[in-house]
Amino acid sequence: MDEFENRLKRDAEEIRVGISPELRTRIDASLRATEQIRPVPESPASGMNLWWASSLTGLAAAVIVIVLINWNRPTNELLPVEAVASVPDNINQNQGLYRPQLKTVVFTKPLEEELIRLQADIERARQNVKEDIDFTF
Amino acid sequence: MTTDEQLVVESLAGSTLAFAELVERYQERLLRYLLTRATNRADAEDAVQDTFISAYRYLYSFNPQWRFSTWLYRIAIRNAARQSGGEVADVEDIADEDAPGPLDACIAASERENVWLTAKRLLNQDAYAAMWLRYVEDMSIKEVARALDKTQSWTKVTLLRGRRSLSAELAEGASETARRASYGRI
Repeated sequence: MDEFENRLKRDAEEIRVGISPELRTRIDASLRATEQIRPVPESPASGMNLWWASSLTGLAAAVIVIVLINWNRPTNELLPVEAVASVPDNINQNQGLYRPQLKTVVFTKPLEEELIRLQADIERARQNVKEDIDFTF
Repeated sequence: MTTDEQLVVESLAGSTLAFAELVERYQERLLRYLLTRATNRADAEDAVQDTFISAYRYLYSFNPQWRFSTWLYRIAIRNAARQSGGEVADVEDIADEDAPGPLDACIAASERENVWLTAKRLLNQDAYAAMWLRYVEDMSIKEVARALDKTQSWTKVTLLRGRRSLSAELAEGASETARRASYGRI
């Protein structure tokens, strides 16, 4: 401890405060009127009770959510039995009679034109080959 | 001699005499420190009383890993801060600004100024408290930091600055005294 620290301590001791009897009486009286707060010991059952309480609360909340979601949900309307088209009994016998009228769909037309052009090209090539063969042999 | 911590254990077991012994040990030390923070003696005494009540009420929360004095000063400093933060200065306080504080009344007249009066003039409250706890209450850096709710780094830096500041002021005061003496004014 150096001289500076000694002086700090010495000067602190020179501060004469003195405790008045009134102050001591006040402190004693207020302590008598004060109760110590003591922590409540936690019983082992309280943990289990808490677990059950939280589980049941969670379950109840889940049930409520499910009920609320399904409360105004639109139901699938079932058609009356009569309205459902039944399969004709002689469908196997008439299978060859039904020939659907197929029309060329607009978007297949370019493919058809391309096919015609390719066929023309092939025909032209076949003619050329034939002429070459004729010339050769 | 029974230690503070043993008295705490006895108090927790229901002994009022044990806590009365703790009050006896610390009442004057606490009042001496709190007088330096309060504006008047009555406030300082109220702070002492509140500190002991809080300590008694929450004694179960005392951690024996620390010294009882550290815990008690922690409570006292918080009480004092709350008291000084909540009060509003009235006209009478402002008028008496230059009047001697409660600390001055407790220091006998001397040729040189008490170093704690100098410290009160130079340092802020936290720095003053750190110096007091370290050099008067002999607390370690760790305990001072704990009592003031600060980091150890802050405590070290504050103590260093406080020492430098006070040393410089005291050295200047000493040279002034020597100069006056040489001119025969003292």
